[in-house]
Amino acid sequence: MKSCDDVRELLVLHAERQLEPGPSRKVEDHLDACADCRKESERILGVLALLRDPELFRPRQDMTWEMLPASLAARVASSAAARRWLPLNFGSHRWALAMAATLVLGCGAIWRLHQPAPWTTPAAEVIQASGNEAFLARIEAAFAKEATAAYLNECRDLLVHLLHARGKCEGEQFDVSLEVARAQQLLQRKRLLGAELARPEVARARALCDEIENFLVNLSTSQSCARPEEIRRMERFIEREQLLLRINLLQSELS
Amino acid sequence: MPGSSAEIAISAGEQPCSQPVEELMARVQTGDLDAYQELIRRYQKKVFRVINSYHRNPEDAMEVLQDTFLKVYNSRRTWERRSSFSGWLYRIAINASIDRHRRAAKVKAASLDEIMESPSHSSATLRSDHSPLSRLRQEERRRMLEDAVRRLPERQREVISLRYFGEMQLEEIARALSLPLGTVKSNLHKAVLSLKEMLMRQREVLI
Repeated sequence: MKSCDDVRELLVLHAERQLEPGPSRKVEDHLDACADCRKESERILGVLALLRDPELFRPRQDMTWEMLPASLAARVASSAAARRWLPLNFGSHRWALAMAATLVLGCGAIWRLHQPAPWTTPAAEVIQASGNEAFLARIEAAFAKEATAAYLNECRDLLVHLLHARGKCEGEQFDVSLEVARAQQLLQRKRLLGAELARPEVARARALCDEIENFLVNLSTSQSCARPEEIRRMERFIEREQLLLRINLLQSELS
Repeated sequence: MPGSSAEIAISAGEQPCSQPVEELMARVQTGDLDAYQELIRRYQKKVFRVINSYHRNPEDAMEVLQDTFLKVYNSRRTWERRSSFSGWLYRIAINASIDRHRRAAKVKAASLDEIMESPSHSSATLRSDHSPLSRLRQEERRRMLEDAVRRLPERQREVISLRYFGEMQLEEIARALSLPLGTVKSNLHKAVLSLKEMLMRQREVLI
């Protein structure tokens, strides 16, 4: 019969049915005779049972699993489309030459734009003006996307902080004074973002910002110390409305 | 006991898979986005469990899950049909998790005591719930084990995650991690004993 130390070295693999029949039988014989090792074996079986619990590290039920495959497929499709505009071989001499030529032509065009143009006709001025408008519109759209993404990022930080990093007041209450102040600042920020959020390029983000605004209004009027049930109500709202996941998805759309 | 990777997807309670994962992945390699979506549907919840064992915050785990599947697509041509798909997939998921930790300079996990004292894990929070006591104890035990798994040394945690959350056989884990089978068994043994010790230090939790 094996010693207790020898047997204990094998208990995990025995429980995992990884031992050959011979050693396995010896372990079982020892367990039949030794109460201490039997107790140890039960503890190990207890740990393994806990590890096999399907609820361990489980995904939250409220996560939108149906959306993820389509969302990721859309992302790889859009990045593949973007790559089609890039040369395949970045290291070739031709690519370097093309870049240099583009740089020279670009500098020339910029210099040309800054020169007086006495020959410009009224029709040419109209074309140039409409070109400038389109250029400005693109800049404004890019700025709106960036500003909205930054705002949503700050909202996400606040929500995450609210879920995971609360301070404590006396008793069972939680200190949310920082979160309340941050909610007030974010409400103010949203009012300043009015022009950017009105752009069609950020329409989906605007809808989410409006939903978050309602939440922020409630939070901003809370007391500095919140009761556990108030916290749970806010947590449930964040989870039910999938605010964090939706912010993540929208941020990839805006980037 | 889990079997092949195709069987695993069925046993995980997700959509039954009519097409073996190797064929599905071959379609993904040609750029088939329908196959890519099907692949994500089959594996997303299991990969999430493996990734979640590396992160305390489910939102972080969700982001790493997305990165993982994007990397799967971008590296699709590096997968070889003769190798285990789930091993390749989980290797990407674990590397993405570790990368994220390193970037955030959070490699060293806080002590179990700190974790248990943090508000999101506090037993006071759980006690204030109106659910039945037994359910609370079970939930508390689960949280403690999750925190204990996150405190394991990197190699042991990999083995535990792939074995119990990725539902892989020890031989598959050895291939996925390029380790001898004996090393995998040894890490499994050490990991289970460490978890037992950590849990037993928390009074009256395990037994």
